[in-house]
Amino acid sequence: MRIPPEELVDGCVRTLQERVLPALSSRFARGQLYAVIDVLRNLRDRVEEKSALLKAEADSAADALARASEALRAGSAAATAAAEEIAAAVAAAPADPLASRRGALNEAFVRALERIDALSEPSADAAHAALGGHLAAQAIRDIVTLKPSLLEEISRG
Amino acid sequence: MTQEPLEDRLVRFFSARLGAGRPLRVTDLDRATEGFSQETFFFTLELGDGDTRERRSYVAKREPEAGLLEPYDLEPEFRVLHALSADPLPSPATPFFERDPAVLERPFYVMERLPGEVPIPAAGASGTGPFSAEERAVLGPELMRRLAEIHAVDWQARGLDFLETPAPGAEVAARELARWEARIARAALPPAPVLVDALLWLRRHVPETDEITLVHGDYRLGNFLIERGSGGAPPRVTGILDWEMVHLGDPLEDFAWCASVLWRAGTPFASGLLPPAELAAEYEKASGRRVDPERVRFYELLSIVKMIAIMHTGIRAFRDGRAPDLRMAIFDHQLPFLHAALAMLRRWLPGA
Repeated sequence: MRIPPEELVDGCVRTLQERVLPALSSRFARGQLYAVIDVLRNLRDRVEEKSALLKAEADSAADALARASEALRAGSAAATAAAEEIAAAVAAAPADPLASRRGALNEAFVRALERIDALSEPSADAAHAALGGHLAAQAIRDIVTLKPSLLEEISRG
Repeated sequence: MTQEPLEDRLVRFFSARLGAGRPLRVTDLDRATEGFSQETFFFTLELGDGDTRERRSYVAKREPEAGLLEPYDLEPEFRVLHALSADPLPSPATPFFERDPAVLERPFYVMERLPGEVPIPAAGASGTGPFSAEERAVLGPELMRRLAEIHAVDWQARGLDFLETPAPGAEVAARELARWEARIARAALPPAPVLVDALLWLRRHVPETDEITLVHGDYRLGNFLIERGSGGAPPRVTGILDWEMVHLGDPLEDFAWCASVLWRAGTPFASGLLPPAELAAEYEKASGRRVDPERVRFYELLSIVKMIAIMHTGIRAFRDGRAPDLRMAIFDHQLPFLHAALAMLRRWLPGA
């Protein structure tokens, strides 16, 4: 999620109050909307991203980074140095909270991609393939939790 | 900020330009919900009264307070549309641009409203997409002819070189990549690793071209105004809309955007029209230009990056409280589809 849950709730409340409420003339609808706002405001400090999702992403990233590091160890001195850096970054990621662990591993992942991109040798290709496995798996994990889009209704109003 | 109704402000604006002492009214004012970027208002202008009354349909496009393509500047788009107003291209005649905030708070331009409807790129319940097979057979080739016409515009003769001309060669594509990377950086959201992977690939595979044409920038299903045929008449393209990303660049950028997986509307057809290979053949026939697969591969991937940049910008505006519009919030759960598209185009996932 690129919007932390509490910021998402704040934004929903702000939009409903400032933009939607003034456009409603039905007393019943206004009352219901106020109830939605009340629910959201009280939900704000009690929600966080599901730990199972965070753990799955973090575990997958850590595993891919470990495999990439292993692949690089078979390469040149530069590749071996990259392998050490990647392994160190994985080891340095905090165990908890899970959101921090996921964040640290994603940062390590990005640095690993950049490091591997600068190498031109078979070990780098194998390392890149290991990272690609995580990119594919994470893309699927992110999609399976989504609900069918209401984009057409949102667009048509 | 003035609280005067929009209708009254539009009446004052048009009275100064078209009134000539005649009574003038604005009716049927409505705000469109389809566009996620600029604010779009439809209205009818009634000039005169009695037997001499004349009705004209207009569309006003206004810069939003914050949004997907900020920072906004409507003037280049207006200048292009104004320059093309008399062309056979189905771009709307665009007579007025106003920057004075005293009129509608923010800059806006006014264009004539064209007939037709705008099919949108959302997957319908039937899974058949927005067009019938007969409509696709007519519209696919026609829309590629229209695209070829845009790319054939003599932009130097039309005085459109204010759009910043890239040098031929690699700068054409490199400049576009840099432009969208800068938007991603400005939004300052943690980049998904799959996005970083795509950016690294793009930087290493910048194609070269000596062809520099006018590029619509957003030529795709959702910006085509279509009049459905009735009584056996074929459908026709009545307008090409939303020129806010217009620039000078590689014409294949437009083709790749139009053919992108972003606009399939739940069908296997590029922009709901034709299979991508058939669309490419139609474009080649209309333009006389080869659809170079290497350039298209670059721009296909860049298309997804562009959409991610747009969504990041909207999310940032929402998070900062500058865009009180929940449509920006939905991008947070649209991004995974784009990440999957990147993974497919990079061939980490099967399906591209």
